[in-house]
Amino acid sequence: MLTPEEVKETLKDACINLRFHARGGQGGVTASNLCVEAYLGYGVCQPRFGAERMGSPTESFVRLSANENLVRTNEQVYIPHYVSVLDPTLLGEIDVTAGIPHGGWLIVNTVIDQITIQDIIKRKDLNIATIDATNIAMEILGRNITNTIILGSLIRVSNLFSLEELSDAIMRRFKGEIAAKNIEAIKRAIEETCIYESGETLDIAKDTKVPWQQVELGLPGYTQLDKAGVWYCDVDVIEFGSNQVKTGSWGEWDILWDKETCTDCAQCWYICPDFAIIREKGEDGLWHMKGIDIFHCKSCQNCIEVCPVKAIDKKLKQGPASCAAP
Amino acid sequence: MSIEPMKIFFKEIKEPIKTTMIGNYAVAGGVTQTDPDVICAFPITPQTQSVEGLSDVVHQGRLKAAFVNVESELAAISYSTAACAAGARAFTATASQGYLLMTEALPMAVGWRLPLTMMISARAFNSPNLSIWNSWEYTQVNSELGWNIIVSENVQETYDAAILSVMISEESLFPTIFVHDGFIISHSVQNLWLIPDETVRKMTLKKPRHTIDPSKPGTWGGIVTPSYFMEGRAKLDHEKKPALTQMKSCFDQFKTATGREYNLIETYNLDNSSKTAFITMGSMCGNIISWMTKNKDIGLIKIRAFRPFPYLELQKIVQEYNIEKLIILEKSDSLNNMLPPFSMSIASALYPLKILFRSFIVGLGGRDVTRDEFDVAKKKMQSVSDMNGPLYMYLGVRETKEKIVGVER
Repeated sequence: MLTPEEVKETLKDACINLRFHARGGQGGVTASNLCVEAYLGYGVCQPRFGAERMGSPTESFVRLSANENLVRTNEQVYIPHYVSVLDPTLLGEIDVTAGIPHGGWLIVNTVIDQITIQDIIKRKDLNIATIDATNIAMEILGRNITNTIILGSLIRVSNLFSLEELSDAIMRRFKGEIAAKNIEAIKRAIEETCIYESGETLDIAKDTKVPWQQVELGLPGYTQLDKAGVWYCDVDVIEFGSNQVKTGSWGEWDILWDKETCTDCAQCWYICPDFAIIREKGEDGLWHMKGIDIFHCKSCQNCIEVCPVKAIDKKLKQGPASCAAP
Repeated sequence: MSIEPMKIFFKEIKEPIKTTMIGNYAVAGGVTQTDPDVICAFPITPQTQSVEGLSDVVHQGRLKAAFVNVESELAAISYSTAACAAGARAFTATASQGYLLMTEALPMAVGWRLPLTMMISARAFNSPNLSIWNSWEYTQVNSELGWNIIVSENVQETYDAAILSVMISEESLFPTIFVHDGFIISHSVQNLWLIPDETVRKMTLKKPRHTIDPSKPGTWGGIVTPSYFMEGRAKLDHEKKPALTQMKSCFDQFKTATGREYNLIETYNLDNSSKTAFITMGSMCGNIISWMTKNKDIGLIKIRAFRPFPYLELQKIVQEYNIEKLIILEKSDSLNNMLPPFSMSIASALYPLKILFRSFIVGLGGRDVTRDEFDVAKKKMQSVSDMNGPLYMYLGVRETKEKIVGVER
């Protein structure tokens, strides 16, 4: 770990990059904003450019340096030195360690231990910090918002800014009691963060970007694309469409379907925005409902509302993924 | 419900404030401070948060303006033009395809000499596929209609441009577009300094001008025979001539009031050993400036005023620093077998100087532009010694699954 003095010295002619993984609605972008506001120097924050929905995996990036010219770039962040994961269910769903150099830090809101995390991420060269931010959030804030709390852990392992500097930023953004409670939660996070050091040293000045990684070699080149940019259904050139996206992990509820009560009226099938109602043609020549496609169902609950016989019900998902609540 | 970042604009800003904000809300704030009377925009995709922010300040009563949602971009520009002709200070905004749908009504604001302002978040047009990400397709169309166009590199510049555009429009009596790169600037959170309301008010005083006036009836845009049309066009051209000088005087006035210096063209490290410089505009300039901290043998020319094009200033800069080679980077192509649009402007401007240049098309549809592109462009330029062969190439594009065009690996 770097001391505050070392951080200051390093940032004179280098740039520290952070990445936040969260789900839409959990405040990952707010966390990165607060870093920029807390850091006494130059900083920018970028979300991952594209569409974001409640519950979908999101990423946001922060670039901090004492040299104005170094943060002036609008390039995406390829080498994150500190990666914070606000929702532990993301560990298995996306590659949260992409681009982290040797000796980089992974900060996870979780109750599982660091050795298990090492197994999940399949890397042993990273330093890992864990914090049960969900618990702190429920106790102090009364709701599962962990974005400010994870910054406490970030302070503990990075020394990029002090608690006082972060408190100032929080008081500028939030008012009165909310600010005070957030600061109290951050203080607890600083104390309760568990640290597991891998022994590797982090070289911030080293450029470990894979040359031309933004061009994504391995995907078809322009000479291999179909005329007129058409995606033909029977040719598997481009992976496309919403059926590739695991929207099923976004939601807060499991949707339950009762076969006995269902009358096969198909109203749910018409209203489902994600084609997540599975129907099949039976031997009698009629279409019958078969169940719910949990890979794509993001639990919008339209089907529950529309069902005339109450054959569809919901159950809160287990675990912290359910915190992506509206 | 209010939009969190807009709250800072609900109260009077009495002294310069440092804050952090995304480009779109910064523009909304800047426009709020210029006190427009009419804001008219199409509220759905492809629209940006700038009008969302403005709807908030109007709703809160902070801004006494008519906020009008309309059914299309064509309606938005028509409504704004008419409001401006009636004497209102008007603002509209669009992005991507919306700019195309506006095309029919765009020349009118120029012809009627209306100080309208518009924000464009530069995003791709749909061809062959739909993309919502950053590209400079706006340079392919409508840039010759007579609108002033200024391009911003970062959030601070686009906030300032929102105010500068009003100054430039009112000074030149030609409409002004200010552009920032979609997503890259429109959605990045950056630090910026806000200007006190009183300072903005003084810079953007509402001056009397020609308007539709019931006490002085007349026909606006009435038909003329061939005996008149050409004179009308020549008059426009004649009156457009001072626009760059007026733009410059607005930049100077802005500098006096805020301390931030802008110019039609900005230069970085042109006094370098290789006598070579990149020339580009928008957010990519930031990427190059960061890259230049480790590559000190190359310079950068950043174009701020894209229309009218400051060709005399560019010639002067190139001659003064004795630049021999230019690397043009642009996020647009044009399939015209010659050069993409931005490069065409540079090539025409520098024709008398017989300078060596090559044009590189990068970053279309949101593809990131990184040190890799700059390294290769710099290297390729070192071996250029004449103007033979193809003058442009795509950089950072896959030819096959294994090969990148023009890159030996």
